[in-house]
Amino acid sequence: MKKYLIIILSLFLLAFALVRCSKDYPVDSDGLLITSRAECYVSNFELLGSDFQTVRSGAAVIDTTALTINATVLYGTDLKNLYPQFTLVTDAKLDPKITGKVDFSDLANPKQYTVISGNRKVEKTYTIFITIQSKP
Amino acid sequence: MQLKYYNLTLLMVLIILFAGCKKINDATIPTAPTVLQNDCIKRTLGPNVAGLNIEFAYAMALPQSAGNIVSAEVEASIAGAPGTYLENRSFYTNGSGQDVGITVGSPSVTTDTRTVVAFTRDTCAATLRYYYTVPDEARGKSVTFTFSATASTGETVSYTMGPYTIANMTMKLDQVCTDGKACYLSIADLALYDSTAAAANPGKIDLVYLYRVITGITFAHALVSPAASPDYLPGVNLPTGVNNSTPMVKTWALNDQNLARLQYGIFIDDADFLQKDFINAPNYAINLKAQAGAWVETADGKYRAYIYVNTVNNATKTMTVSIKRYQMN
Repeated sequence: MKKYLIIILSLFLLAFALVRCSKDYPVDSDGLLITSRAECYVSNFELLGSDFQTVRSGAAVIDTTALTINATVLYGTDLKNLYPQFTLVTDAKLDPKITGKVDFSDLANPKQYTVISGNRKVEKTYTIFITIQSKP
Repeated sequence: MQLKYYNLTLLMVLIILFAGCKKINDATIPTAPTVLQNDCIKRTLGPNVAGLNIEFAYAMALPQSAGNIVSAEVEASIAGAPGTYLENRSFYTNGSGQDVGITVGSPSVTTDTRTVVAFTRDTCAATLRYYYTVPDEARGKSVTFTFSATASTGETVSYTMGPYTIANMTMKLDQVCTDGKACYLSIADLALYDSTAAAANPGKIDLVYLYRVITGITFAHALVSPAASPDYLPGVNLPTGVNNSTPMVKTWALNDQNLARLQYGIFIDDADFLQKDFINAPNYAINLKAQAGAWVETADGKYRAYIYVNTVNNATKTMTVSIKRYQMN
C-alpha cells in the first residue's frame, strides 16, 4: 500500500513540475497573445453613424490584394462622426486602435488602418475609400 | 487495513450527521403591534417633471380590535398643481393581477398644501394612492411629503417621503409636424409654426420639418436647420430671416419613457443634457423613423433638447414628436 502511495505522489509531483516548467505563451505590448498565425486580412467592414445604425448603402468591397476598402454611404451621412468596425482574421490586430468616433470627412486623404497578423510578423495597411450616395 | 478505513468512514459520516442536525435558530412567530402603523412607497420611477404626476402608495393599519381609521392626509412642501389628489379607494390586487379599488372614504379635499380623505367605511387597514401633479413653480426645487393617518383611538402616525428634486427640464408631447404647413419648430417656444408665424419670429425657428421622396436616395422624414446646405432643404422656401444653425446628434431607440410612453425603463434627466457633446455635430438629420430621435442645441446655446419621434406618416407627410428641453443658462 505504501509503495502505491509513493508512486502516486511521485506522479503528481512530476505532473506539477512539468506544468510549471512549460514555456509561457508570449504576449505583445497590448497584452495580446502572439500566436503562430501569419494570416493578415480584413474580412468585414462596417460603418455606424452617431445613432449606431449602419450608414452603408451596400456591402463594403474589401480587396485583400490591393489592400483597399470601398464603402458607399447613404446620402446625408455625417462623415465627421462615424464609428468604423473591422472584422479581422483570427489573432490579428488593428493599428491604430479605434477608440471612438472617427472623422472620415477628408475624402482627399483617405484613412488608413494597418492589420497585424497573429504572429506579429506580417503587416498590411488598408486604405478606406468612402463614396457618398449622390442625388440622381 | 480495511477495518481502519471502515472506522474512518464511520467517523466522517457521524461528523456530517452531527453537523446536519445542529439546531440553528429558534423559529418565533412575530407579535403583531397593537398600535396604529403606517408605511409608504413611491410608485413612479424616473425624473420628477413639472406637469407629470408623482405617485405614492400610503398604507395604514391597526388591529381590528383596537379601532378603525378616521382620516388620512398628505402635506406637500410645495402645493401641487390642479389634479393633485389622494385616492379615496383602497386597492388590492386580485388573482388576475388587476388592481381593484374599494371606496373607504369621501373624495379627497385639497387645501393649499394639504390633501385630506375622511374615512366613511369602518376599516382598520387601507392603502391609499396619492397623485401629486408637479407644479411649474417647483421646477429645480425639492419637494417633501408628510403622510399621516388618524385612528379612532386618537393615535396619529406619520411618514415622511423625500425630499425629491424636481427636474429643471420642460416637456412637450405629441407635436405634429406637417410638411409645408406646421413645419417650423421652435425649441424656445416648444411649438410648431407655419411659414407666416415663422416669418414673424424668425430668430426662434430652430428646425424645419420636411418629407421628401427622392429616387435613388433615402430622404423621407427630416429635421433640418434653416442654415443647413440647401441640398437638405429641397423645395423649401424659408421665410425671411429664418437662418439658425442648430447642431444635432441623431439617435436610435432612445425611447425615453416620458416621451415614448412605451414600456422601456429609460429616462432622460437634466444631467443628460449637460453631458451632451455637440462639437462637430451636423445641423440636419434626414431619414428619421419612428423611435428615432435627435439631441439638439439652439444656435444661441440657451437650450438643449431631445426630440423623440413618436410616429411618422408617409401618406399625410407628418411626423409626431415629443420633446424634453433643458435651459442651459
